[in-house]
Amino acid sequence: MRILVIGLTILTSAVFASSVFAIEYGGFGGRPAYPRADNPRTESIFVHTLELGNVQEEGVLTVNNSAERKTMLVYAVDSTPSTGGAFACAQKSEVPSDVGAWITLEKGEVTLEPGTNELVPFTITVPKNASVGEHNGCIVMQEKKEKADGKSGVSLSFRTGLRVAITIPGELERKLELVGFTVTKKDDGSFLLHPLVKNLGNVSIDADAQVITRYFFGLTHITHGGQYPILRGDTSDWNFELKKPFWGGWYRSNFVVEYDENPEAGVGVKSGKTLTQLEGLSVWFWSFPTSAALAIEVVVLLLIAFGGFLFWLSQKRKRWIKENWVSYEIKAGEDIKSLAERFDVSWKLIARTNKLQPPYALKPGEKIKVPPTK
Amino acid sequence: MHKLMRKLLGKLNIILTLTLAVVMAGGLGGATYVLASSTSNFTQTINAGALAVDIVTSAYVTVESPTMAMSAATLSFACQTKTGTFGAAEEMIYVTNPDVADNGWTVSMAAAATTAVWDSAGTDFDFNEAGSSGCVDDGVTTDADAFGGQMTVDPSAGTLAVGNCASCVTTNVTKGSSAPFVEGTTDTITILTGAAASDDIGDWKLTGVSISQKIPAEQPVASDYDINMVLSITAS
Repeated sequence: MRILVIGLTILTSAVFASSVFAIEYGGFGGRPAYPRADNPRTESIFVHTLELGNVQEEGVLTVNNSAERKTMLVYAVDSTPSTGGAFACAQKSEVPSDVGAWITLEKGEVTLEPGTNELVPFTITVPKNASVGEHNGCIVMQEKKEKADGKSGVSLSFRTGLRVAITIPGELERKLELVGFTVTKKDDGSFLLHPLVKNLGNVSIDADAQVITRYFFGLTHITHGGQYPILRGDTSDWNFELKKPFWGGWYRSNFVVEYDENPEAGVGVKSGKTLTQLEGLSVWFWSFPTSAALAIEVVVLLLIAFGGFLFWLSQKRKRWIKENWVSYEIKAGEDIKSLAERFDVSWKLIARTNKLQPPYALKPGEKIKVPPTK
Repeated sequence: MHKLMRKLLGKLNIILTLTLAVVMAGGLGGATYVLASSTSNFTQTINAGALAVDIVTSAYVTVESPTMAMSAATLSFACQTKTGTFGAAEEMIYVTNPDVADNGWTVSMAAAATTAVWDSAGTDFDFNEAGSSGCVDDGVTTDADAFGGQMTVDPSAGTLAVGNCASCVTTNVTKGSSAPFVEGTTDTITILTGAAASDDIGDWKLTGVSISQKIPAEQPVASDYDINMVLSITAS
């Protein structure tokens, strides 16, 4: 019986546990086929330092994770600056003259069933007259689509690009400059924080760009930003959205950029030396409080005003007591209670004014301060 | 002693039977159990992901023929500006990063060719003319064609939100600035930028990107104007 029960348990566990799960995520695109352990950045993009005339073997793993069979064009193009200095890939229609022209793909088109991938090898041949510094291009995967006949309006195509960053060794300059920083109020009460930074060097720089917004008294309200690549010769800018601050009041934001200025650093490589920090001037701006904050602030202000009034009243009474109360000698049979009744005042006030301690015993002949007799 | 052994074995049988019952009930009820067994074979396939941008419905289904709806224009003797929205509620711009662009990415929009125009069987008009506020081809700028017309894209007017990913945030994902297309100068407009610190595994949706198009004066009436645009996502 025991053997039967154990057998059933094993059988059941085998039935329920040997299911195969497939997790699918994303559409179509690709990724570098040969990421290097010494540079984690190579898991996302192609990064190489190549001498003039060098030839580098590489590969892109094209992926189709959509639910349909896809035919993709795979091609190389130069990089192009997008607005805000962001990295973008030139269009297929543009004849490459830089890294796009240095790349030769083994095939220009792949057809993938859903959930499959295919390696497309390519070579990068650096021309002997390439300039020192960083050159960028892209390997692009774009779905092959036939244009629908008679369709008017905007026809959209989608594509995924992988950056190819090739550095030609030599005198590499890594230098950034803050260009500006503006704060613009939007209609909904939020603010657009818009910093600008220019790359003056001949290589791209991964810069940590931060906009720190502080309250009037210096406490940090919020920090926006992150690490962004700033391409050689480009001016990068970002739009950080600052939601309408709850409390309102005067705020100040300032733009700070931190980057590795040392020439040993590269794409995905840190020099390990001290980072350079550039800090711009603060921009002050006013934000009206939200309704809830306004209600709270009004209540707090009223409480403070009322508290102030009470304090002023107590100070006034203290001053009056000091100026008007007179010295009185305790007679036999008198105690604090009888004195309070006689002078028509609270016994607590007599005790407090004369700094009497419990049990507030008074000795005949002792002198205390009492209100003046009318 | 023998009696005690039999009693203990009897109790063991009860325990095994109860365990089996729990496993069966859990399995049928959809609960997940991990059982150590030399015969079981746990297989889980996670396919290599791909950084992607797409236009999807609110149910995250790809829209086969997405549109960029512009307000209707009528023939005018003056240059006119027509506005529209890219990324409607049922045609969201959808970005997925399944851990393949950990150091950041950019979504940008460009025409399939910088020399493209709003093409028609009749007279075309431009999308990237910089002269005369985009209304007239001035022949001075680097524009290769002879048409007026200019398109401006304003992603900052859009609404950015997290997609399906419950634990993701929009922090470190920023919308691009408003910019007009200018041939040779502004051929590509940034829609979204994900910083290195943005979620490595995440999805985001953007709606309400404002589009405006300058249409030259006396542009002939036609219903077949079309232009090819490309939406790109690039790992950087």
